[in-house]
Amino acid sequence: MKFEWFVASRYLRSRRKQSFISIISIISIGGVALGVATVILVIAVLDGVEHGLKDRFLSNEAHVVLSLIDYGFFRDYQKRIKRIEALDDVVAASPAILTQTGVFRERTDAIQDVIVIKGIDPAQEDKVTGFSTYVDGSTDFLNSELIEKARLIRDETITGGIILGGRLAARLGIIKGDVLRLLIKIAEGPVHGALLPDLANFVVIGFYESEMEYYDNKLGLIHIDSAQKLYGVKERANSIFVRLTDAELAPRIATRIEDVAGFTVLEGMPHARTWMEAQAQLFWALRLEKIATIVIEALIIIVASFNIASTLIMTVMEKTKDVGTLRTLGSSRGNIMRIFMIQGSIIGMIGTILGTALGLSFCWLLSSNTARPAYWYAFVLAVPILLQIFIATQRVLPNKGGWKLAAWILLLVGVGFALYCLVRPISFVDLGLSQIYQMHQMPIKVNWLFVIFINALSLVICWFATLYPAWQAANLKPVEALQHE
Amino acid sequence: MLNTTEALIRIVDLHKSYYDGEAELPVLQGVDLEVNMSELLAVIGASGVGKSTLLHIIGTLDRPTAGRVLYDEQDIFTWHDTELARFRNKEIGFVFQFHHLLPEFTALENVAMGALITTPNDKAVYEEAASLLEYVGLSERFSHYPSQLSGGERQRVAIARALINKPKVVLADEPTGNLDRRSSEAVLELLWDLNSKSGQTFVIVTHNQELAQKVDRVVQLVDGKIS
Repeated sequence: MKFEWFVASRYLRSRRKQSFISIISIISIGGVALGVATVILVIAVLDGVEHGLKDRFLSNEAHVVLSLIDYGFFRDYQKRIKRIEALDDVVAASPAILTQTGVFRERTDAIQDVIVIKGIDPAQEDKVTGFSTYVDGSTDFLNSELIEKARLIRDETITGGIILGGRLAARLGIIKGDVLRLLIKIAEGPVHGALLPDLANFVVIGFYESEMEYYDNKLGLIHIDSAQKLYGVKERANSIFVRLTDAELAPRIATRIEDVAGFTVLEGMPHARTWMEAQAQLFWALRLEKIATIVIEALIIIVASFNIASTLIMTVMEKTKDVGTLRTLGSSRGNIMRIFMIQGSIIGMIGTILGTALGLSFCWLLSSNTARPAYWYAFVLAVPILLQIFIATQRVLPNKGGWKLAAWILLLVGVGFALYCLVRPISFVDLGLSQIYQMHQMPIKVNWLFVIFINALSLVICWFATLYPAWQAANLKPVEALQHE
Repeated sequence: MLNTTEALIRIVDLHKSYYDGEAELPVLQGVDLEVNMSELLAVIGASGVGKSTLLHIIGTLDRPTAGRVLYDEQDIFTWHDTELARFRNKEIGFVFQFHHLLPEFTALENVAMGALITTPNDKAVYEEAASLLEYVGLSERFSHYPSQLSGGERQRVAIARALINKPKVVLADEPTGNLDRRSSEAVLELLWDLNSKSGQTFVIVTHNQELAQKVDRVVQLVDGKIS
C-alpha cells in the first residue's frame, strides 16, 4: 500500500501543469466538508430543540401520571403513594387534584379565563416536579404574608394562596397580593330555583415562570387541602404524579405502577400515563423531522461525493499515459485501482475532517454566550484575509514551504476570528420565536455518537464514489494508455 | 539457472490482428523468433510493419491473437494479471521512443518507481536509483522534474528507470528516435556499455542504421513475419 499512497498523494498535490486537477480536488474537498458541516450543525440544532423541550417538559411534569379510567377520585391515595414509592426506580409520588375553573378578578363579574387548577401538596410535589424552582414568590399556600395581609384588609373570606402562570397573570393584569376568584361550581341559591355561583377567593402569592407555554399561560397552583375543601372531596385526589430515577424508564414502570395501584370495585381501573404518551405527538414530530433531515443531508453528501467521482474521472483522463507507464513498470491492475481509490478517499477524509471541524466550530460559536467583539471587527479582518488570499495565490511571498505554511495559518486564524465575531447564538426572543419553541435562544446539542456516525457515513459514501473511476483506470489497456495523448 | 546457450525468449507462430468493427487488420502473421541470453538483438523493418506490436507482446503489454511466447520455457500468456505485472516488474525493462517519465515525480523518484511498487524499503531503493542516475551521467539532476530536463537527459533517466530491478531483458522501442545526433550517440554508448558489463539481453526495435550495425544480430520484419 505504501507505493499506492506515494503516487496518490503526489497526484493530489500535483501543482505542476495540471493545477486544474488540484483546484478541483480543493473544490471536491470543500463540497464534502460543507455537506458534513451542515449535517452536524442541523442535527445539533434539532437535537438541541428536542433535548431542550424534553428537559423543560420533564422538569415541569411528572414522568408518570396515575389516574382512574373515568377520571374519578382515589379514596385512599396515601396508601397507594406509599406502595408506588416502594417500587424500584421511583423517586417520589405526590397526590393532586386537577380541575378546570373559570377565574375572574375582584370587582369584575365576568369570567375572564378558564384555567387548569392543580391542587398540590407542596412538599411532595416539589420532590416530583421541582415546581418551586420556577416560582417567583412564595410557595406557602396557607400562611404566606400576603394572605395574612389580605385577610386583614378584606372582609371577604380568603381560602388560601394561588400561584399563577406568569403570562396568565400578566394577561389578567394581576400582581402579587391581588385576589383572584375561582368559580367552583354553580349551585342552587337560598331562593328556590335560582342558581348562584359558588366562588372562592385566592390571594396570588407567586408567579410560575417555566417558559413552557402550557404552564405559564394556563396553570394555577393551589394547596391540595384547599382543593379538597372546595370540591368536598376530603382525603381524596384524582391524580398521582410520579417521578422516576430515569425518565426513559417510564413505559416499563408505568405498568408496575398500575399493578401496585390496584383495582377496586368502588373506583374502577387505574391508568398510568407516561410523559411520552402525553407528549407523543410532539416528540414524534421531532423524530420525523430528524429522520427527514438525515435523509436530506445524506443526499447532500452523496451529491458532494459526485464531485469526488468527477474529480477522479478527470484525473484518470489526465493520467491515462501515466497509468500506461506504471503498468509497464509492473503495477498490477490492483495497484492502479488502489492509487485512485486512495486519492479519492484522501479527498473524502480531508473533506470529512474539515467538515467535522467546521460543523463543531459553528456549534460551539452558536452556543457559547461569551461576550464577542463587535460585528465590524470581522469586516476589518476580512480585508487582511482577502489580501492574504491574494498574496498566497499571486505568490508575492518567497515560494518556500515555511512562508506558505505561515500564510495559511494566518489565513485560518483570520477566518476563525472573523467567524468568532460574526457567528453568535441566535436569539429566539429577538426573532419572536421564543413562544413557539419555548426557549430563549437556538439550542445546540452535539450528539457525539451521531458525529461519529456521520463521519463514517461520509467516508463510506466517498469510498463508493471512488470505485468506478478507479476501476476504469485499472482496466485501461497498457498499450493504448501509453499511446494516449 | 538459465543456460546461456539456450533461448531466453522463444516466440512460436505469433499472430496479432487488430479489429476495426468487423474488419480484421492482421499485423503479425506467424512470427517465429528466438532471443538468446545476453544477446543484443535489433528488429528492423518498415514503419507500420508491427515492430512495436511485437515488442509490446514480448513485454506482455499486449496479448497475441494466437501463438505463444515462452520465457524461460514458460508460456507467459497463461498467467494472471498480477503474475504478468510481477513479471514485467522483475524481468523486463522498457525504454520507449518517448521517455514516458511521470511528470509529478523527480528524476530520482521516476527511476525508483519500478522498485517501489514491490519493495517497502525506500532507503535501499533510492540509493540504488541514485547510483543508476550517476551511471547514466545525471548525478546533478536527482531532484529535477522531467519538465526541467533536456530530451537526452530524459531518455537517460528512462534508461536508468528500466534498469532499477536488474531485469534480464531490456526492450527498447526506437530509443534514439526522438533525439538529436549527440544525445542519441550518448544513449547508444550507454546501451552497449550496459550490455557488455551486465550481460543483459536487449531487444531493440529501430530504424537507425548505425545502431543496427552495432548489434549482435539483426532480424527484419516483413509482411508480419521474420525474414
